[in-house]
Amino acid sequence: MTATFAFEDELTTLLPRLRRFAHGLSRNAADADDLTQLTIERALRSREQWQPGTRLDAWTYRIMRNLWIDTARSRARKEKVEAPPEEAESVGEDPRSAIHAAIDLQRVMAAMERLPDEQREVVALILIEGFGYREAAELLGLPIGTVSSRLVRGRTALLALVGER
Amino acid sequence: MDEQFFAWLDGELNPEEAAEVEKRVAADPELSDAAAEHRALAMQLHGAFDPVTQAPIPDRIRSAVRPPSPVTELASWRQRRQSGRPAVQHWAAMAATLAVGIVVGTMVPTDDGSPFELRGGQMVAASALDHALDTQLASAASGDTRIGLTFRDRSGAICRSFENNASSGVACSEVGHWRIHGLFAAPEGQDGSYRIAAGSDPNLAALIETRIAGEPFDAKQEAKARARDWR
Repeated sequence: MTATFAFEDELTTLLPRLRRFAHGLSRNAADADDLTQLTIERALRSREQWQPGTRLDAWTYRIMRNLWIDTARSRARKEKVEAPPEEAESVGEDPRSAIHAAIDLQRVMAAMERLPDEQREVVALILIEGFGYREAAELLGLPIGTVSSRLVRGRTALLALVGER
Repeated sequence: MDEQFFAWLDGELNPEEAAEVEKRVAADPELSDAAAEHRALAMQLHGAFDPVTQAPIPDRIRSAVRPPSPVTELASWRQRRQSGRPAVQHWAAMAATLAVGIVVGTMVPTDDGSPFELRGGQMVAASALDHALDTQLASAASGDTRIGLTFRDRSGAICRSFENNASSGVACSEVGHWRIHGLFAAPEGQDGSYRIAAGSDPNLAALIETRIAGEPFDAKQEAKARARDWR
């Protein structure tokens, strides 16, 4: 019983960070909260698979990342049939836009949205969530070299996107 | 700008490697600029997402972790009732009767899977619902049926509230079966799992309040009652 509550307590303290990661991956806030809710539900259902003593945050982030991949794929399929994917036109339209100007969440999310999925997840984990290269590589099940080169491409593209007018 | 440059920027190098890259950057204005730009980018990214971590967690996410329990719902219902609106109770009892009428009238159980059946002119739990009422504790992971409160009613019988995708209600133990004492149809167009996460029908809390004698059972009392076959 106590173990059960501890799991939910820990999950509750993770919520702000999980939402942030979801916002880093998703194209808008509504999608991000859907993803967060799905992740929580999945984590609760598979709680027996989590090994106490290991990091619950990495475990939960992995669930979220896998769910995001699944939904992103099915959405891509749907959009291919229904309509061409919309361009993130709002990026760079802000008249104040300059590289050092404050950029709000929406603009950053729109810029992130334009990165290929495999770069976006690496940027979100390392630059936004603060995971180390090795931790991120383990979480994603990738060699550390792959993570590091994707991070270079992702952040370079992102710099151009948030800097462009 | 190579991977080592960025690894240095992210603090991923050991002290010797870091010192080496630092020297290289200091000697190269282009690299120094790049370092400043990328540091600014990292800070902007962090800052941009701050509002997300500082904002209150939306209710639907909070209750996905910990669905509101029927016990707290009953408590909050009682609180609301004490602060006025005394008529709700009667309305709820009427609504319950009405719901039973509608359910009996429109879906008189015919197939084997129905959770209700008529016995001697009374509606009783059948199949999966009967089984859940007999065996399932409130703490059970969600199946099709979720058990809420277990309590003694004013006649001394043990009653339990239940909820599934289609309906919620209260059933009380009688010899050989669970008699349905109130039934509410799930609001239309709402997915069951979301409804549960969002909390039970206030009508259900009101109905429980009309029947309950004393306080609802805690987990221990519930398990004990099950061991005694709900008598």
